[in-house]
Amino acid sequence: MQETYARAFRSWQSYQPGTNLRAWLLRILTNLNIDRGRRVQRSPDMQPLEEGDYFLYNKLEEAGETGEERVDRRLSQDDAVAALSEVPHDFRDVLVLVDIGDFSYADAAQILDIPIGTVMSRLHRGRRILKKELAERTVGSSV
Amino acid sequence: MAVSFEPDPCAKCEEVLQPYLDRELSDAEYAEAEKHLDGCSYCRKRYRFEVELRRFVRQAVVEEMPPDLKAKLAALRTPL
Repeated sequence: MQETYARAFRSWQSYQPGTNLRAWLLRILTNLNIDRGRRVQRSPDMQPLEEGDYFLYNKLEEAGETGEERVDRRLSQDDAVAALSEVPHDFRDVLVLVDIGDFSYADAAQILDIPIGTVMSRLHRGRRILKKELAERTVGSSV
Repeated sequence: MAVSFEPDPCAKCEEVLQPYLDRELSDAEYAEAEKHLDGCSYCRKRYRFEVELRRFVRQAVVEEMPPDLKAKLAALRTPL
C-alpha cells in the first residue's frame, strides 16, 4: 500500500500546477496511518550549514539587499521553477515534501520508502543545489 | 537531554538550524536553539533568511502561474 502512495507522489499524476500543492500532498496521505506528532531525534548524519549554503545569502547582502522581501525583489516565480528543475529528482522529491508540503522527516521517509537519514542528507544537498541555482538567477547576478 | 552549545555556540547553531526550521528537534534542543538565536544576531539573520527563502519557494510553486510556467512545473514530475 505504501508503495502505491509513493508512486502516486512521484508521478504527481493528479497534481495541477498552480493549485494548492500541500492540499494535494495531504490528500495522498489521507489513508496513510502516519503518526504526525512523531519527530526523530537528531542523528549523527546531521550536516551543519557550510559556506556553500550561504552563497545566496551573501550574494544578496553584497547587492545591498537586507531584511524582509529581499528574495522577492531579486527572484521571480519563473526563477523558482527553473531552479527547482535543476535539482535532481531524488532530492527534489524530498524538498517538495518537507519544504513545500511541510511534512516531517519521518513522513517523507515513509512516503518515499527511504530511511530518515537519507531524507536528511537529500534535503541538505537538495537545498544547497536549489540555493546555488537561485543565486545564479538573482537580478543583477554576475555569476 | 539538552544539546550543548558550548564551546562554539554558532557552529552548534548551524548544525541544528535546518532541523530547527523543520521542527525536528527535541523540546530541550529547541529551547537551547531558541536561547542562542535570541542572543546572537549573526545566527538570527541566517535563520530569518532561511525562513524567507522557504516561504518564497513554497509560494512560487503553489501560486497561480502563466500556462507556460505551469507546463515547466508539470515537466518536473518524477517519472515512474
